[in-house]
Amino acid sequence: MDDAHTHDTVVEAAGLEKRFGRATALAGLDLQVRCGEVHGFLGPNGAGKSTTIRVLLGLARASAGSVTVFGRDPWRDAVALHARIASVPGDVSLWPNLSGGEAIDLIGRLRGGARGGGLGGGGPRGGDATGYGARRARLIETFQFDPTKKGRSYSKGNRQKVALIAAFATPADLYILDEPTSGLDPIMEAVFDQEIRRVAGEGATVLLSSHILSEVEQLCDRVSIIRAGRTVETGTLAELRHLTRTEVSFADPGEDGATDARLASITDAHDLRRAGGRIRFTVDSDAVSRLLPALADLEVRGLVVAPPSLEELFLRHYGEGS
Amino acid sequence: MLTVRTLLRSAIRRDRVTLAIWILGTALLALFAASAVGGTYGDEAERTGILRLAVDNPAILLLRGLPHGTSLPAFVFFQIFTWLALLAGLMSSFLAVRHTRAEEESGRAEFIAATPAARTAPTVAALVHGVLADLVLGAAVAAALVAGGMPGPGSVASGCAVAAVGVAFLTVGLLAAQFARTSRGANTLGVGAVCAAFLLRGLGDALGTPEAGGAAMASSWPSWLSPIGWGQHVFAFTDDDLRPLLLCLALAVACSAAVLVLQARRDSGASLLPARVGRAAARPWLRSSFALGWRLHWPTLVAWCAGGAAFGLFAGGLSGVVVQAAETDPDLAANLRTIVPSGGSVTQVLIAAMFALVGVIAAGSATQAVIRLRQEEAHGTAELLLSTRLGRVRWLGGYLALGALSIALVLASGAAASAGAVFAGVLAGTDEPRHAADSLAAAAAQLPAALVYLAVLALLFVLLPGATAALGWALLGAGVFLGVFGGLLGIPQWARDLSPFTHTPVAAGAGTDLGGAGWMVLLAAAAASAALVLMRRRELRG
Repeated sequence: MDDAHTHDTVVEAAGLEKRFGRATALAGLDLQVRCGEVHGFLGPNGAGKSTTIRVLLGLARASAGSVTVFGRDPWRDAVALHARIASVPGDVSLWPNLSGGEAIDLIGRLRGGARGGGLGGGGPRGGDATGYGARRARLIETFQFDPTKKGRSYSKGNRQKVALIAAFATPADLYILDEPTSGLDPIMEAVFDQEIRRVAGEGATVLLSSHILSEVEQLCDRVSIIRAGRTVETGTLAELRHLTRTEVSFADPGEDGATDARLASITDAHDLRRAGGRIRFTVDSDAVSRLLPALADLEVRGLVVAPPSLEELFLRHYGEGS
Repeated sequence: MLTVRTLLRSAIRRDRVTLAIWILGTALLALFAASAVGGTYGDEAERTGILRLAVDNPAILLLRGLPHGTSLPAFVFFQIFTWLALLAGLMSSFLAVRHTRAEEESGRAEFIAATPAARTAPTVAALVHGVLADLVLGAAVAAALVAGGMPGPGSVASGCAVAAVGVAFLTVGLLAAQFARTSRGANTLGVGAVCAAFLLRGLGDALGTPEAGGAAMASSWPSWLSPIGWGQHVFAFTDDDLRPLLLCLALAVACSAAVLVLQARRDSGASLLPARVGRAAARPWLRSSFALGWRLHWPTLVAWCAGGAAFGLFAGGLSGVVVQAAETDPDLAANLRTIVPSGGSVTQVLIAAMFALVGVIAAGSATQAVIRLRQEEAHGTAELLLSTRLGRVRWLGGYLALGALSIALVLASGAAASAGAVFAGVLAGTDEPRHAADSLAAAAAQLPAALVYLAVLALLFVLLPGATAALGWALLGAGVFLGVFGGLLGIPQWARDLSPFTHTPVAAGAGTDLGGAGWMVLLAAAAASAALVLMRRRELRG
């Protein structure tokens, strides 16, 4: 790995495997998260997202393959790396008799407030005390969170807020968030999106796992889709869109206007079918423009060209092997 | 009615193991007391002597009961009834909370409330369930006393008294569940009420007035404020007067009525006392694994320390008394020596025997500290902690330090209480100051065995995390059985030697053998080091 590469890539995993006894959670997973990007980490439940994240945080050790975070081994250098990482676990549990505010402060202090891997003292009460206090107050306000309730009485969404506030209240170079919006209502999801844009704007790298594509579509620069412990697709959203087909449909003019022979002349159409008074087919997304003369010839009415949907790609990968 | 019966059946099914343990345990205590007291104090003159001693000594009255005649059965009732009543109260109060507030807190009650079941059905079912459990408990105690050779009518009266006290605290528990927001809070209120009843009764008895002959006493008024005091005034085997139990029943009816009224008026999940509001921000010192452990552990540690102090008080308070008793009763001294084999004086042996129990409590508090570590891991909160700059080794180290501090605090509470009791005895002219030094030495002697428990369990936590809680309590139980009671029960020496408690040194002046202590400290240090080293390579397991 050359120097430039190390600087570009924050998370680098190749052929990552993780076995629990006879069960295989990761079977050769590849993941590259570049510096400063928001990276979507997508896959159905049980695909290995949380296991990967636990390996990246040094909570579990890879059985085989290589993995580095900021160029270091997350298992061996966990503590030093954690100084630069803020994380939200997939299923947040709290201490039943600690209040939400106490839990936020505890995590913040244990993480330390100093940015950039300084391992000395500091922490929210040390070097960055005022910054921490202000951010904490702002986040509690925007997330509309009551910090005085005891851990046992918070709902799932509120437990999630504790972890989110703790993560965003201390600056970090890398945010690792495991399904961070589960349990949040749409308004809180918008607050969350805003925070992601804020930290990304400040230059931090974000790894965001989810099993719902639309949740991360708006935020992510690149995504990796995994299934059954393997990476099946990775790239920018534009690249991934190329892999999907555009759906075209128009009002069926009847047998006179559009005979089967004339329809068959649309050379790029796939899966052509007539149903419910409309004619539908799909085309490769980069072939849409070639299609237009044929459609003009047909004098189609009520033309709908549906933009390529990642959901489709996503569902195709999800469906396979299930 | 149908829903109550359905709920009742499911409650009995869920409780069958828990209640069987409570009831069998309480009955065994009754059986053991009846047969052991008959064996040890078979002689009327001897019993008279002990009762005279008790009447003069408030500490004994507080921890036993009210002397009421020198017959063997009356002596058994004096020795054991208040403890049986205490257990009945705890069993019933826990049962009440388990089936009402705990269900509401977990959200399961909402399932039931959403069915056509009446709003009060779960409470009525818990009430019926608890009354049935108390009746079985009373019958078991009566049967155990009869089996221990006690006369039938008095045994039945004792069983009735135990059941009546149980029913009273069952309804107190139900009422507590209406007030507190959490099952933990309701249990605290319930246990508090049971302990307050025990102490009020103890206070009333200690302040009572001796009757003619010096082997019987009339209690003062505080005893009459306590359900346990009411049960005691049945005076089974002498008076067999069941009228005081009407007070228990009246209290039960009043509490039940209040519970049903409150239950019918409040929302599901709501409570009369508002949920306690927590701190909006953490205290400045909450910034390490040790500080977090302390924050979570201290309320229970207070209870462990209170237990240590109680046995310490007993050791110090009795040291003077027992010297006199042992002079007249060689069997007593022999019994003590089976617990603590030593060439020391009878007082040193007594203090060591009592402090062996303080040592068990200290080891228990350390065991709980390590189990908390496992709970954090299993519950998922450890993941939050270890994703910060807190490393696995420091995380474990923090809890090891917490366990060591717990041990030290429990032993210190025992030593302080014992020394305090000795000095009170010195002022009253019944004790000698050197027994205070014996107390401190006996407390310090418990340190190695307790440290072994802490370190070995920490190592087991690293190697076999899933089994931490089960192994922790099982090892402690086995160690107590073999090491503390092994001699009394005639267990062979090689098996007794397996228990750390067997190797606890006993102060005997210049002849004190510290070899076992040295080896145990080495073993604890080795286990703790191994745990810390191996933790570096251990993954977090849910």
